[in-house]
This record gives sequence, C-alpha cells and structure tokens, in this order.
Amino acid sequence: MGYLTFEPLDWAELRALQEGPDACTGAVVTFMGVVRADRDSRGTVRALCYEAFGEMAESQIGRIVGEVLSRWPGIGVVVRHRVGLVSAGEASLMVGVASAHRDEAYVACRELVEAIKRDVPIWKRVLYEDGTACWAAEAASSSDEPAGARSGCGSG
Amino acid sequence: MTITVRVFAMLRDAMGTEACRLALSPGARARHAGVELARRYPSAHRWLGVARPALNREYCSWAAKLRDGDELCLLPPVSGG
Repeated sequence: MGYLTFEPLDWAELRALQEGPDACTGAVVTFMGVVRADRDSRGTVRALCYEAFGEMAESQIGRIVGEVLSRWPGIGVVVRHRVGLVSAGEASLMVGVASAHRDEAYVACRELVEAIKRDVPIWKRVLYEDGTACWAAEAASSSDEPAGARSGCGSG
Repeated sequence: MTITVRVFAMLRDAMGTEACRLALSPGARARHAGVELARRYPSAHRWLGVARPALNREYCSWAAKLRDGDELCLLPPVSGG
C-alpha cells in the first residue's frame, strides 16, 4: 500500500469514501493538514520539505491503519502523506474515515492523525522566503514566542 | 558482533553520515550502540539524546538486545503531518 506520495493530494480519494460497497456509510470525517506560511524569528515559511524513512514509514502507517480497522471493523480509511517539497497553502496529510455513524468516524480519524504525527518516521525541513532552511525541530526551539504558544512550523 | 546503524534527518546532518557499522561486545543492547555513537560523534549529542531506536524497522527500547547483523535505526523526533 502506498501511503506516501510525491504528488499533490487528491480530494477525489476522500469523496470516494462516501460510496461504500453496500451503501451502509452514514458519515465521512476528513482531515487535511495544510502547510502554514508561518512567521518566526527566522522569517516567513515558503514551503516544507518532507523527508521519510520510506519503508518504515509505510509499515508504520500500515500498522496504525490496521489497529484502527481492528478496533472499528467495517469502517473505510484513506491515508496519504506527501513527501518532498510542499508549498505553503498545499496539503501535506490527508486522512478520511467512513463509517455507519459519526461517533466512530470522528474518533478513528483523530486517532489516525495523532498516531501518524507521533510514530511515523517523517521529518520536515522548513524553507524560508529568503532562501534559508532549517529542520522544523530547530525552528520550534528558536522561536521567540513563549512555550506552549505554538508547536513549530508545520501544518494541522 | 557487528551491526549497522542508520540515522536520519537532523541526526544524520549532525553526524555527517547516514550510516555506519559498529563493532560491539556480544550481549550489547541498543543503549550501548547509542553510547558508542555519542563518543564517536560528540556534535550529535543533542539529537542522540532524544532519538528513538528501531531495530530491523520496528521501534524498540534502548534495552533491546542486539545480534550480529542487526540494523539499528536511530530516529530523531518525528514531525510528519
């Protein structure tokens, strides 16, 4: 299963969740993480460049999806994560869940997003308008804003 | 025994290499590899201290026992999404 892609994310994959095989879908919850044009002490963010440990990232997303499917059998799931250069305003992560009722769709979608952000070996490099760059973790640690006011450059 | 260590992102940049081989004593654990890397690459100390180990592509603890030929990956804090 190819969860990682260099291509722009395609909303059509989320719309397809609406059409379950036996018309039992009653709810579709979607999440799109979008790259913000943040400003910090280094400048304004032009884009993020996502780097993945590809094989492990694919297997980790597969594990996360498998765990969600085993907890809520019968739901439909779509996960796609961009790698490479993603400009500000473009989507970097797309997660969709289709289920019979909204409660499990909300919970499963959030669980997928949080687990992906926590466990999948993907890193982002922040590219600024002035041509400089740094890892997102470095941008967060050099921010002038008080701790807790932000979670670093990124999306979501 | 000899293992391969792979590193990524800011840890790779700090070490100046994406992989290396380590000769360790039999019975060594992941943390022993981390200590040896910190000795070899003092400039990477910041990221080694917060890296998460993965053995043969699965997350593991620093107490995980290593075997000859293992691939130990050290993953600095991830930031996907």
